[in-house]
Amino acid sequence: MEKKPMTEQESLQLITDMINKTKASFHETGFGPIMWGAVITICGILSYIKEVNGFSLGFDHWLLVFIALIPQIWYNIKQSHKIKAKTYNDIALDYTWIAYGISIGIIVFVINGIGFDLTNNFPNYKNVRGDFRFSNHYTGFYLIIYGIPTFITGGIMKFKPMIFGGIACWVLALISIYTNYKYDMLFTAIAATLAWLIPGILINNMYRKSKSANV
Amino acid sequence: MFKELDPLLHSQLRLAVISILIGVKEAEFTFIKEKTGATAGNLSVQVQKLKDAGYIDVVKTFKDNYPNTVCFITPTGRTAFENYVANLQSYLNTKK
Repeated sequence: MEKKPMTEQESLQLITDMINKTKASFHETGFGPIMWGAVITICGILSYIKEVNGFSLGFDHWLLVFIALIPQIWYNIKQSHKIKAKTYNDIALDYTWIAYGISIGIIVFVINGIGFDLTNNFPNYKNVRGDFRFSNHYTGFYLIIYGIPTFITGGIMKFKPMIFGGIACWVLALISIYTNYKYDMLFTAIAATLAWLIPGILINNMYRKSKSANV
Repeated sequence: MFKELDPLLHSQLRLAVISILIGVKEAEFTFIKEKTGATAGNLSVQVQKLKDAGYIDVVKTFKDNYPNTVCFITPTGRTAFENYVANLQSYLNTKK
């Protein structure tokens, strides 16, 4: 950078260039959306098959969600060493997804609590089939929660596939009210694919392109 | 009546540094060096001038066992940048 005097136009151009250069330092690889999208899609499909055909792997496949935390933590640590600048958007997204993680944890806890209360307070509840059964109706809550951070992320990143993914989660939550509960897990799989897996792949493509452009 | 452009900001490298920091919460020295294309020595001098004026803050930490310098803009620096841009715009509008 030269030390010559600047005209007003040059100053304005320099400010614009630097702001654009900072914006162009794209470090989102799409790892999280791809991994969580794939894990939830697989778990949702397995649950649907189990519901329809009675097929079982012999263990609770939703445990995959806990196993997936390991690569996510590893990735976060690796990224924290790589990132050289933190934008306000990065911080907003961090808080959004932390709030999502806490909300999902609490919802699991609350839903299990309700199920426990129903089972203990209504002796015949365990035998209820076909009529109202709480566990057949709570998928909508999860889908609503899935949609919130996805929609916000799409908005902050100005990334339409995630905005549509968030809306898709809410639409599927509404549909789940009017359809047989056995489709709920299929809706979960579709939501995870639309909200995370597909946008994640698109983000990864953008990341690869920006990386090859900078080489 | 025009206000004089802030001489501290009306310099290529210092203006570049402030323009980078205005859009981020914090940035490492190496990030600023990479984006401005300046030498480490020159950048250090200009960063120190901005720090002395209270426009930016500099925190020295360690990352992966190596020294790591992190810079961020202060409220004074933000105001100075906003005033600089406003003055620049009034100059350019008059010249039209």
